[in-house]
Amino acid sequence: MMFDDTQHNACEKCRDLMSGFLDDELEAAEASMIREHLSACGECADLCAELSAILEFCGEEPSEAVADAAPPNADAMWKRINNVLEAEIKAPPPSLPETRRTWGLSFFQVSAALACVAIVSSLLTFVAIRNYNAEPDTVMVTRTVQQPGIVDRVLIRFGFAESPAEKLERRLRERQAAIDYWNAKVQVRRMQWDRTTREAFDRNLRAIDESLFEYTNILQSDPEDQLSEEMLDAVLNDKMNLLRDFAAL
Amino acid sequence: MKFGGHLISAVIAGKATILMSVVFFFALSAAEITAQKRFSRTFPAGQNVRLQLMNRTGTVTVEGWNRPEVSITASLESPAANIDPQTVGGTIVINLVKDNAGRNEVGNVNFTIRVPFTAMVDIETKIGNLNVTNVRGGLVRAYISSEGDITLTNIGASAVSAENVIGDIFFDGEIVDGGSYRFSSTRGNINIRIPVTASFRFVATAPSTRNISLGAFVNPNTNYLGDGRRVVGRMGDGSATLSVTNQRGSISFLRR
Repeated sequence: MMFDDTQHNACEKCRDLMSGFLDDELEAAEASMIREHLSACGECADLCAELSAILEFCGEEPSEAVADAAPPNADAMWKRINNVLEAEIKAPPPSLPETRRTWGLSFFQVSAALACVAIVSSLLTFVAIRNYNAEPDTVMVTRTVQQPGIVDRVLIRFGFAESPAEKLERRLRERQAAIDYWNAKVQVRRMQWDRTTREAFDRNLRAIDESLFEYTNILQSDPEDQLSEEMLDAVLNDKMNLLRDFAAL
Repeated sequence: MKFGGHLISAVIAGKATILMSVVFFFALSAAEITAQKRFSRTFPAGQNVRLQLMNRTGTVTVEGWNRPEVSITASLESPAANIDPQTVGGTIVINLVKDNAGRNEVGNVNFTIRVPFTAMVDIETKIGNLNVTNVRGGLVRAYISSEGDITLTNIGASAVSAENVIGDIFFDGEIVDGGSYRFSSTRGNINIRIPVTASFRFVATAPSTRNISLGAFVNPNTNYLGDGRRVVGRMGDGSATLSVTNQRGSISFLRR
């Protein structure tokens, strides 16, 4: 028995067994526990008293008033009621009418929401058009030091666009990964090359690395130098192409 | 007699030496002749034929001619490379890299190829010079993976691209309206010889040397940017685009 768990559980258990208790159907130990609980719990004691009164009332002979109010054939009526209830239980439940949720927003709230949607969609459209129209690296660039504009700064701040430093870093990472990949292939192949090929490869790689070194240095001192950034990009591309082309030999 | 005997011996010894030298010379020549192989093939071709050549090492020369055929001749150093030209659609493809994949040593292959004037030419090599002359088809592309000079003369193509790492680039030709021209090198000199009446927008970039000479092409529409590392400008209505980049060398525009 779980009477010791908590007060709540004890009350629940007591109410479950209360009917049996009042009908005197419980075992002695259970009845004793119920009694004990009723002596301690006023709420359950009240409930028990009410239930006891109802049972007492039901157990008495029907009064005249009640007898007058009763139908002439009570059994038949109860059967009909029972039949109706059974039929309702078997029948599929009727579909509930759709409940319409009303938001109850004010005009101001609706306007503010629409304005937010308009701003966000405009921003997204702007970003999309910008990306679509973005000029490739090789296209003529007339500025050598490019500062992000106000719109760019806003986009960067809200995470809709990369900052120049992030963009450069990402590009360098991608290029470096490709360079590492092809370099590993070249290292495997280069022992098979003849001396002339090896020397030519090394010479050209050195020439590219010199430029790479130069632009990296410039960008360290002036990260906003777009021309050097563009050249660094081009040189990394050249290096990757050299490695890729010689990896095929 | 004794003196005469010595004389005879000396003469015989001299003759023997000469004879040996002659034999040795001819033996060497024969060895050289056997080391050099030649390849020759001719394909019938339409006016819009496209030549696509990927060489490993060696010089490639492509010349336009007034015949509806493509003539390929090649001299192969020992150990000789495999050459297996293929015709795919309207394109003649020679891919020495693929045809000799896995072969450790392949000697130089020097090509001389003649194509119709209006052919499209797309040639590349890992090491070696590329020359194209008298071609006015839609495309001329010359790409050297590493070192070698690129010489493009009397070109009338609307799309021209030349790229190398170490070596000079020389372009001599027309600038076609709406065309696209791109020249790029890491270390070398780039010389562009074009008509002064040509109409194009251009960007010339020489970041290390800042040695950009516009010659007769200086006009009020030119701007020096980035402390002279780049020059941009426009000639005429600027319908063509010209991009020249030389990382560690000079750029010169010459009047044609």
